[in-house]
Amino acid sequence: MKVKDIVENLSLNVLTDIDDKEVTGVYISDMLSDVMNKAQAGNLWVTIQTHKNIVAAANLIDISAVIVSQGYEVPDETIELANRYKVVILSTDDSTFTLGGRLHQMGIK
Amino acid sequence: MHTSQCDHQWEMVNAQPGFIITEICHKCNLVTTYFSREENPPLEEYRDGEHFWNVMASAQSVSFNLQCKSCKSLISFNELSSLMLCTGCKTDCKVFKLLKRSPDHSVWVYVAFGFKPYKDKLQLSQEKLSILEDYFNMKRRSTKSSIKIVSYEMIDDLDSCSGGFIMDEFLLSLEAPKQK
Repeated sequence: MKVKDIVENLSLNVLTDIDDKEVTGVYISDMLSDVMNKAQAGNLWVTIQTHKNIVAAANLIDISAVIVSQGYEVPDETIELANRYKVVILSTDDSTFTLGGRLHQMGIK
Repeated sequence: MHTSQCDHQWEMVNAQPGFIITEICHKCNLVTTYFSREENPPLEEYRDGEHFWNVMASAQSVSFNLQCKSCKSLISFNELSSLMLCTGCKTDCKVFKLLKRSPDHSVWVYVAFGFKPYKDKLQLSQEKLSILEDYFNMKRRSTKSSIKIVSYEMIDDLDSCSGGFIMDEFLLSLEAPKQK
């Protein structure tokens, strides 16, 4: 399954340019150090963090897309940096719990 | 330690959560940083010899080692405090110049920082930087880009550097993201 499939299925907001990468799984965390330690390349990263440092962590691990949940607003600075570094940022008003359930229903684990 | 006979396959081991503590001595203004594995890092002033240390900042982080799955070589990264993505904040910085050498964005440059005071504490060797770079490049799936990890020593003006640090200071400072 690819990023665009997930965007369409879950009606996610697309905040950056899309690089339609293959999705290998989901990692949920609000800690960058945790993502650096445990997330895998190709994972979707679900978080409520929005500061520009999420781009640094996502790019390091080669995350397929960051999904900012719970309706948090992503600053322009973060979006601009993400576009420069080809990191995809999506958002949704869903809670992290609800989003996790919907991703699981889609067969992504 | 790092044997050339083995085609190393690095994996992260002994990952331990903790805090990067930054302290300042109000007597001499010396700044020190260290990794604390304590559940509750120190918050109050304390005296250590000539110094009176006060906590300036703390950030959640993780310490780890890398081990080769094949030859079992174990490399400690106790000297690493954080990694920072170069965002090109200063056009005359050597790190940014390195980033600009890849105009097609096929190489992203990260800077590895050690603990302060830099001149008094053991810093990451070039060999360890290469191993860390290998580890993350092996972990990445992208065939379009790779990462390069360089030492903080390439940055002339550390105080004005504003790249993207991979550490969790924002959680502790309670700067919640803005709700729409």
